[in-house]
Amino acid sequence: MFKHYIKIAYRNLVKNRMLSLVNLLGLTLGLASIMTLVFVVHAYYNANGFIQEEENLYYLKTFTTTGHSYNETTYPLLDKIKSSCPDVVAGTHLIGWNQPWLSYKDINLQERRTSYADPDFFEVFTLPLKYGDADKALKNKYDVVLTDEVSTKFFGDKNPIGEKLIFNDTLSLKIAGVLEPVSSYSSLRLGVLLTTQLLEDNPSFKEHSGWKSTFTSNTIRLRAGADVQKFEAQVMNLVRQNYADPSNVEKIKVEPYSKIRVDNIPIAGIIIKGAIATIIFVLLIVLVNLINLNTSVMYSRTKQLAVKKILGDNKKSIVFQFCLENGLLVLVSLFISSIAFVLLLLPQINETFGGNFGKIAIELPKDYPVILYFLGLGVFITLVVGALPTFRFVALPISVALKGKLNSIRKNLFFRNAFIIMQFSLAILFICTAIILNYQINFMKEAPLGYSQDNISIAKINLDYKDEKAAESKFSQILDQLKANPFVQSFSTTQMVPSAYNRSYNNFVDPETGKEVRIRYGHTDASYFKTLDIPLISGRNFRDQNEAIENGTIVINSSAMRALGWTNLDNKRLNNKGETSEGFKVIGVTEDFHYQGMQSSIEPLAHFYGGKQKLKYNNYLMLKIVKGKEKQVFQQLEADFAQIQSKRVLEYELLSDKTNAQYDILKGILKTVNFVAFFTILISCLGMFGLISLMAKKRVKEIGVRKVLGASIVKILILLSKEFIVLVGIASCIAIPIAWWLMSSWLQSFAYRIDIQWWMMVLGGALALLIVSVTVGIQSFKSAVVNPVKSLRAE
Amino acid sequence: MLLQLKNVSKWVQSGGQKTFLLKDINFWVNEGDFISIMGPSGSGKSTLLNVIGMLDGFNEGEYTFLDESVHSLKEKHRSNLYKQYIGFVFQSYHLIDELTVKENLEMPLLYKKYGSSERKSLVGDMLDRFNIVGKKDLFPSQLSGGQQQLVGIARALIASPKLILADEPTGNLNSKQGEEIMETFTQLNKEGVTIIQVTHSEKNMAYGSRVINLLDGNLV
Repeated sequence: MFKHYIKIAYRNLVKNRMLSLVNLLGLTLGLASIMTLVFVVHAYYNANGFIQEEENLYYLKTFTTTGHSYNETTYPLLDKIKSSCPDVVAGTHLIGWNQPWLSYKDINLQERRTSYADPDFFEVFTLPLKYGDADKALKNKYDVVLTDEVSTKFFGDKNPIGEKLIFNDTLSLKIAGVLEPVSSYSSLRLGVLLTTQLLEDNPSFKEHSGWKSTFTSNTIRLRAGADVQKFEAQVMNLVRQNYADPSNVEKIKVEPYSKIRVDNIPIAGIIIKGAIATIIFVLLIVLVNLINLNTSVMYSRTKQLAVKKILGDNKKSIVFQFCLENGLLVLVSLFISSIAFVLLLLPQINETFGGNFGKIAIELPKDYPVILYFLGLGVFITLVVGALPTFRFVALPISVALKGKLNSIRKNLFFRNAFIIMQFSLAILFICTAIILNYQINFMKEAPLGYSQDNISIAKINLDYKDEKAAESKFSQILDQLKANPFVQSFSTTQMVPSAYNRSYNNFVDPETGKEVRIRYGHTDASYFKTLDIPLISGRNFRDQNEAIENGTIVINSSAMRALGWTNLDNKRLNNKGETSEGFKVIGVTEDFHYQGMQSSIEPLAHFYGGKQKLKYNNYLMLKIVKGKEKQVFQQLEADFAQIQSKRVLEYELLSDKTNAQYDILKGILKTVNFVAFFTILISCLGMFGLISLMAKKRVKEIGVRKVLGASIVKILILLSKEFIVLVGIASCIAIPIAWWLMSSWLQSFAYRIDIQWWMMVLGGALALLIVSVTVGIQSFKSAVVNPVKSLRAE
Repeated sequence: MLLQLKNVSKWVQSGGQKTFLLKDINFWVNEGDFISIMGPSGSGKSTLLNVIGMLDGFNEGEYTFLDESVHSLKEKHRSNLYKQYIGFVFQSYHLIDELTVKENLEMPLLYKKYGSSERKSLVGDMLDRFNIVGKKDLFPSQLSGGQQQLVGIARALIASPKLILADEPTGNLNSKQGEEIMETFTQLNKEGVTIIQVTHSEKNMAYGSRVINLLDGNLV
């Protein structure tokens, strides 16, 4: 019997080749997307799975009286908390202070993800160790723990416990542990773990590690069932007793650790929520589509089913047969889509979002539940799309079904129409989202920046020179050559460039009025504004002639001027808050310019004079080069820098590439939305294709009669497509307000944003309508041109 | 007596009025009968046949089939009854397009849970009997109308029913094919199968042993 069903199922699929292919295509596209998104969501929610009892983990968040918030506190606070709060089980800092060079034999590495942690680290983050003992690791000042990835770079597959690493060519550190790989979606980005005791020897750290600077993150494990509010009050007490200036702190909140990822990267939360919504939407569309198509197939098979019933089949086995047919389809499509998922979509996702969020890969021992989800999903789809459309048919009296009279099954149009409306609402929603996002990204890329990034290249020049004196003298030779180079129009040595300003803020006070303003600051040289074409509104630029006088002068931007309430620069000075020295002379004001992405507004900004052009603390060499000569200039520069002994080599890029990279995440989101929009409309149209052919089949006689009575082909086209086009119109009416609301609330998170125009929405709806009209038109045309003699005879 | 209809009526409501499809039909069939139901279009022939075949219900009256009162049976019992005792032959054959001749014949046996070897021999017998061995692996669309109807009859017969209901079995065939089909029915009737056919043609009617005339749902 079973064999028989398989045979019929197979022959049916082959017979309706076109329809099966269409079904398969839609289903495969949908399933592959769902798989990818489910995997991303799964990876995200399980990335912190290594933390036992995560619900007892908390981090500290500082809220200042000036309305800012940081996920950091001062350094000594944690130790005070640990020694005075009985509810604390363990707590650790995680400080990314610097990136020391580590060496083993002749392998030298500098790991970007170097953090300093407390001896409690492994009690807070219960990370599994590949080698070593979590109870002992990091307890000794000179312990170092590596991730598997870093360990492999030094030692290959060998167990390195007890080996020595040389720290910055001076100290010898002992490897105390190697971590098992952790998902890159985890909140922990680890490479090398060193001890805070070691960090405390660092002179510049010592300078900041008092009760003044807020810069260290704290993760605390509390006793299960501890009273968090009481604990928060205790922390606040410690702040009042110990902070150098407790009046700065509005409060310190104890936040559950599960919130930290969204807190650190708010867009991650949006992406995950969007992914979940998309999974549901895509699943709905796929289901609705299959149900619609299957229903249309059912119509053409009423006779066959009636005959089978007469020959002795029962309802159950008819439902079973349909499920089997769909099961075959789902199985094949699951198979193809998992290949597409592993080989195509997952690498694509990693490429699109990997730069910001890290790459993910499938590891069976950890990710096997995902495969179970997919199998479960397959069964679910099979049952729904196999069983639902059959119920109405098996209930039909045989004598009616036998005549193949389709008109008698007309009642449930409401559901069918609701399905179509839902499907197209979603499709239009995605299209509108894509259109608006496109415009927003274009807007951000094309908006005037307030400076000119044309022909500007930047090179990183903090290359960890072995002999700094020799490097400095060679560098001044290089600068002299650059001055003589006709292709170099202008250059600047600077700590920061647009899109890469340090997160350095300070509260400055105007000594005259006592007004306090939080200003972001950085150091640069005299040619910075000239190279970037940033106009000065008033005052003057830095001058190299008299370095001693220029030290301690500031050029602010016009936002800062507004914030300070100044109208001119006469004798204006700024002072660090709490200091009584004569402060810094403000010598110039620039026009506002976008030194960071358009997501953020232009904040008050201060540029300090960084001295004459040299290597010293500068991170970048920024050059304005005649178009097309960049390669030539940098070939020379690379050759020159190769003569200076350093641990890194010179790298350069265009400033425009660097600023464009600020929008990488958004472009990734756009790419995903575009893809989803494309295939929702595709799947919806496939479904429409099936439905319209069914409609035509049902009305074949009517069309014939109308033609005999003189209806033109156009009239019949209109007759057949009218209904569907009205449905898509209704769908637009539903989708557009939702898209409007959704997108305008998302756009709120951009400091500079487009206004949503009515035509963007109309364009979305019109696009959907156009695609539907074409689909419906082609299919109706086929039935409209049939010779009525044929269609009438068939009755 | 194989079956008996007593005062059977069937109607539909249209515009608040009853339109009778069958009215007060009294009618019986003995085993071994070959009955022709005659009447103009719309006189209720097919409806009567569907009622006899239990594919359709009726509104009033009694229907006894092999001492079972069909009108008081549950849907499930009723379908078991017709599956066991009745074979259907249709004007447009109603073979299953996706199945070969052999598989079409095998189908009713599958539903009755015959074993594999038994199915094989029964199908083989039928193919022999109707001389269509050579066509056993063809699909219905590859056969002529007459051949398709032969397969239809073979399929109706394969589970050895007591009664065959044929709704215009020659309606879609040319006269020569039609004659052959009618010859087959006569032969079957001689072998003891009860046959009820609905027909338009006087010529086909002549093959039967008894004629029932219908007009506007009434027996005349």
